[in-house]
Amino acid sequence: MNRKSPLLLVGVGGAGAAMARGVRRAFGEPLRIVLADTDAATGRDDAPFVLLGGDRLSGRGSGGDTVQARLAAEDSAKSFDEHLEGVRLAVVVTAMGGGTGSGATYEMVRHFADAGVPSMVFATLPFSFEGEDRQRRAAGMKSMIEDVAGAAFFPPLDQLVGGCDGMEEAMRRATDTLASGVTLFWRMLEKPGYIRLDAERVRAIVASAGKARFACATASGEGRAAEVADAIARSPLLAHGSGPVRSILCGVLSGDDLRLSEISRIADGVRDAFGHAAKFELSTVNDEATFSGRLSVVTMLFESGDGVEEPAHGEATAGARPRRTRRAVNPLASGQPERGRFTNVQPTVWKGEDLDIPTFVRRSITLDI
Amino acid sequence: MTNINAALEIGTSRTVLAVGEGKPGERLKVTCHAEIPSTKIRKGQILDMKQATRSVQSVLRETEKHKDESGDSFAICNAFLVVSGQHVKADPFQGVAIVGGGKVSAADIDEAVRSAHSMPMPPERELLDVVEQAYTLDSLGGISSPKGMSGRTLKLDTLQIHADANRINDARTAAEGAHLELRDPLFAAVCAADATLDDRERRDGALVLDLGGGSTGYAAYCDGYLVAAGVIGVGGDHVSSDIAYAFQTTHAQAENLKTHEASAIVGLDREASERVSVPGFSPLMEAKTVSRRALDTVVNLRLKELLSIIRETMEARDLLHRMHAGVALTGGGAAMRGLDELAQRELGLPVRIGKPSNVDGLDDVANPASYAAVAGALLYAHSNYERKPLFGSLFKGLFR
Repeated sequence: MNRKSPLLLVGVGGAGAAMARGVRRAFGEPLRIVLADTDAATGRDDAPFVLLGGDRLSGRGSGGDTVQARLAAEDSAKSFDEHLEGVRLAVVVTAMGGGTGSGATYEMVRHFADAGVPSMVFATLPFSFEGEDRQRRAAGMKSMIEDVAGAAFFPPLDQLVGGCDGMEEAMRRATDTLASGVTLFWRMLEKPGYIRLDAERVRAIVASAGKARFACATASGEGRAAEVADAIARSPLLAHGSGPVRSILCGVLSGDDLRLSEISRIADGVRDAFGHAAKFELSTVNDEATFSGRLSVVTMLFESGDGVEEPAHGEATAGARPRRTRRAVNPLASGQPERGRFTNVQPTVWKGEDLDIPTFVRRSITLDI
Repeated sequence: MTNINAALEIGTSRTVLAVGEGKPGERLKVTCHAEIPSTKIRKGQILDMKQATRSVQSVLRETEKHKDESGDSFAICNAFLVVSGQHVKADPFQGVAIVGGGKVSAADIDEAVRSAHSMPMPPERELLDVVEQAYTLDSLGGISSPKGMSGRTLKLDTLQIHADANRINDARTAAEGAHLELRDPLFAAVCAADATLDDRERRDGALVLDLGGGSTGYAAYCDGYLVAAGVIGVGGDHVSSDIAYAFQTTHAQAENLKTHEASAIVGLDREASERVSVPGFSPLMEAKTVSRRALDTVVNLRLKELLSIIRETMEARDLLHRMHAGVALTGGGAAMRGLDELAQRELGLPVRIGKPSNVDGLDDVANPASYAAVAGALLYAHSNYERKPLFGSLFKGLFR
């Protein structure tokens, strides 16, 4: 395990742990990793593992209960502190829709943020056929995770499988696609080439990047640069955002044969596709052993944060810079937080929190009543 | 001669009056007691004086229905007041004496004690108790009996427990309206500790958590001394209020759910997937059901938060790891299902329900821990006023 790295890979829940293992395998070298789950069986290999809510759930899993998973993660939050030592950016991989991936991720990312470590969250959204309940659960936690994460990517599984029909193959492809994207990103930071983007710069971008999209593409042979640029421009994973793109992170990974004209072709293609107003950050990786003859591109689009370049005089802006604030009240509650029968008495305040407001409201826990 | 004393607690959830009798040097027995639900009291603050007075009158009437041990009726003219609420504070203060003859004399000790009792108190605060701790002679601390020891400066550490004078005066006014004179105000958590802890527990280190309706008092003991005390302004009323808000019920229904259905640990002893019935609060409203898991979750979150505050408070004073004898839960909230187990998990200490084992006569009470504070107040009165009987066995109405 590379204890000195400022990057920490965190796999949450069974699917998240599988993805994190996939990244570790694909990376091929030691990386800082920690897996977390409410199910003790997930901690079966040598990767550092945090059992979430051991006292509460006895290592049997959350049973698909998001609230229990949140409470479990809250119980075990302090267990992550030793893993966060020296970490500047946490990369969290998980799957939404189940209990632990949806519920625990929010609490963990919130704890990381409180510890001064921004997170990039890569979380798959359930297949559309998985039912309304899982979709609703994922959607509810998605907006909460977006509130606390530095940057959050939520690729739908429908798009990650890329037309595969076989169940097993589709799931493997979804996991591989996400894992390979994260691996490319990891490689970009850990093995920078001539044009480098270090973890500190990425941290600055990610710290307030907000909603984000990502895609990656690989090609080889003549015309590979044009091929990956087109693939990125046409990727359904990058197609639908909720706001204008404010910054772009583009990593070009290749062997020793990477040419300047190829970098230029890719950069132009990406900027043409997603806008020249957005701040553009480029990084290259030259790794002959891994990418001999191939060229891979990973592209991340961020919708908020400090990345956007100021418009020229008189140029119209695409909209005011969004302000992202951590949600403080129950989404179910309207208006002022509820002090109920304590409205007219001296409030009980602890560390700035009004304890007369129900705890579940202050923690933004939506109850399945 | 048998001493007879009464103790009154005007709490957020209930008003309690108890009478204790005992001969000097013998165990105290609670001979009669009564409680009625309080109304319009929030976090220990009286919001309706008339209601508070009526509550005191009612509880007096109920208590006086009992006869004393000789079979006579009696009238209660005065009572010790048990005080709780987040306005109660405890501050350390040191009394100092310069040792005259090189060895500590009785006069030096008296001077240190006198000095320790002279902490200036602002007019809006009323002193409840000065709890003496250990002596320090020059740099040697932890001395329990310094007489005859050599040194130059004698210091006595104390804990000064004080409360908002207006809140205590409100209680006095409510009691006076019911023709009941209030004697010393006493801090509920310390009283509860007096009734539940034995000497060994105080020496080994013990924490008493007195879970009231509007607040939770704590009293921590180490080496036989009270080393920390205070109140967190969160109690059982907050749990009920959270339930009422979560499930859109009345406070009474929420109280009922808290008492009979909810658990501090989700799904403890019962299937979390069950649904719990909530009767309609008027004939026009239909009964509804709520998820037990959601109900337990609301309660768990609130109590876990409260316990984490207690833990942080104790850790900040470097005391938690010294509580070798564990934690005693007292007050009405101690009966909450699963609270002892949750407290054990959150505090990492052995936890027990603090029955008032230092007094007799409460065996018939459904939740004896809820009487710990008044029992402790009676013990205090029994120990400190044994030569001054506060009332005799009198025919009812004689002193009214």
